[in-house]
Amino acid sequence: MAKVIVRTVGLAKIYRRGKVDIPALNYVDLQISTEEIVCIMGPSGSGKTTLLNLIGGLDKPTHGKVFIDGVDLATLNDKKMADYRLKKIGFIFQFYNLIPTLTAIENVEVPLALAKVSKKERRNRAIELLRTVKLESRADHKPDELSGGEQQRVAIARALANNPSIILADEPTGDLDSRSTVTFMKMVKELNKQKNKTFIIVTHDPHVVEQCNRVYTITDGKIKSVR
Amino acid sequence: MSAWDMAFRSLRRRRLRTSLTASGIIVGVALMFVLLSLTSGMDVQTRQMVRSLGGADITVSNATIPSFEGFGGGGGGPDFFGAAQTLDESYTEIISLIPGVYAVAPQLSSMASINGTRVTIYGIDPSTYFNVTTGLNIVSGTSISEDDEYSIILGKAIADSLNGTVGENVVINTTITQKTFTIVGIFETGTAFQEYAGYILLEDAQKITDQQGLVSQILVKCSDPNDVSDVSEAISSTISGIRATVPTSRVSQASSMLNTMSMFFAVIGIVALFAGSFGVVNTMLMSVSERTREIGTLKAIGAKNFEILKIFMTEALLIGFIGGGVGVLVGAALSYVFPMLTSGIFRVASSTPFGGGGPFGGGRGSDFGRLSTVNISPAIEPYNIVLCFSLGVLVGVLAGIYPAWRAARLKPMEALKRG
Repeated sequence: MAKVIVRTVGLAKIYRRGKVDIPALNYVDLQISTEEIVCIMGPSGSGKTTLLNLIGGLDKPTHGKVFIDGVDLATLNDKKMADYRLKKIGFIFQFYNLIPTLTAIENVEVPLALAKVSKKERRNRAIELLRTVKLESRADHKPDELSGGEQQRVAIARALANNPSIILADEPTGDLDSRSTVTFMKMVKELNKQKNKTFIIVTHDPHVVEQCNRVYTITDGKIKSVR
Repeated sequence: MSAWDMAFRSLRRRRLRTSLTASGIIVGVALMFVLLSLTSGMDVQTRQMVRSLGGADITVSNATIPSFEGFGGGGGGPDFFGAAQTLDESYTEIISLIPGVYAVAPQLSSMASINGTRVTIYGIDPSTYFNVTTGLNIVSGTSISEDDEYSIILGKAIADSLNGTVGENVVINTTITQKTFTIVGIFETGTAFQEYAGYILLEDAQKITDQQGLVSQILVKCSDPNDVSDVSEAISSTISGIRATVPTSRVSQASSMLNTMSMFFAVIGIVALFAGSFGVVNTMLMSVSERTREIGTLKAIGAKNFEILKIFMTEALLIGFIGGGVGVLVGAALSYVFPMLTSGIFRVASSTPFGGGGPFGGGRGSDFGRLSTVNISPAIEPYNIVLCFSLGVLVGVLAGIYPAWRAARLKPMEALKRG
């Protein structure tokens, strides 16, 4: 049964530049249900990333509220916010943002270590996650020995490490070739179907857009449902 | 991945920079360590010298300053029996009459050789010598008595090198003559250069050096230790042309000079460490700014501020460990190399307080002159190892605090954007 997992109420982020207020996000009301793959489109600077950061607890809104599973993020202190990001949210970035000094499997272990999972258990879990993204054979390679597509798959494994319910992806295919993009979206669909993950993806990529259940566009900080 | 792993990997990835940064601490720690080892070494030797003074409160010698090179340094020149450095033996009696004087012992020190080895020969009067000094530490045989003509108490070092034992004969060569002496005892001081010496009767010493009626020093013991300087002044004013010195004050002068030297080196070491710490701050700040995106990522995936702080503090701690550890090793090596390279400097340094002014007379002067050829031996104390190592670690950690705090405080969103 689908229920609302992300709800924003009158969400606004306004940056002050000198004496001028620049609204990055202009009083957005949004509801996203579990098991959805949501796509957010829009020209650069329209507020897509701001929305993602507010949902992910990386930034604080100027006005309005974000409720995740009915919990108001504004009530969380810094520590609880870090815990929220660790356990409830998985992040995927355009440039993968793997730690260059660590191998693929170690990168996947980072969120597990942060969650204080025991050494043995996190190794097992990391192998299992790499298997999910079909990269177990590359476990001991450093990021610079992996292709872009492979790095992004490691990033997916890392995002899934603590079994979050929401995955936030900011232009995840922006740096991938079309074949890797297809593989990436196939994995997203599988995870969505089999593991009931909610995906919120910021993208320009039509390949990605056509795979999503719902599509929003943001223009000048205002959101509009397209599909 | 633990903070240790992350910090270790990051340092290993930038090996050159890590070693350059650590070298800032290494230099400081090594300098401090060399200084401390040499100071402890010199301190040990100073203490041994104090002990070897044997308890005389005042030494009276000729006021004419002897030329030091003729004694200790140059290749055994034959001119070491200049009349200028001796006193008339009759002064002994005059001094004994001065109020506050408890005992007086004449002594004639001169250089001689046994089997080609240069030794200091002390002519003493057993009836008085042991009243004034604490005596000799005889490890074999007996002491010398008034009627032991042509007998000698030999230092352990020279006895060992000659394979000489009690009862055997040794031939002593002076510039004037050579004479056979019988070994009656062997003494030990614990310091090799002091054991290249022998004690014989004063009359014998005067005979073999042709200095009848002359002595090089008169050792004085006071009735009351608090009167030493008064008695010393009284002696100086009673007899002209002599110098009365209080050896313990000389030693304290020497150790205060040592302290000044230590302070000087300590300041250099601390300045070096201070400069090194800026290197660490700089590298760490660079590391933080290079890894801004990494920090942002870690925070985005759920790392708390404290965990970021831990990663960077660990990195600083590791640099401190490397700096402290290698610094101590380099310092230990340098403590042995340094005195060899600078034995010239130490010759001057050590002869100034002890030998040059001739406070202990010719014989003593040459003794301390030999100190430099023996070398200042550094003393590597465990205490100093711990101290210097901890100092390196401390500098690393202190220098790491600010950069680590900056890293921990980064806002995840901005860090991601900037990276």
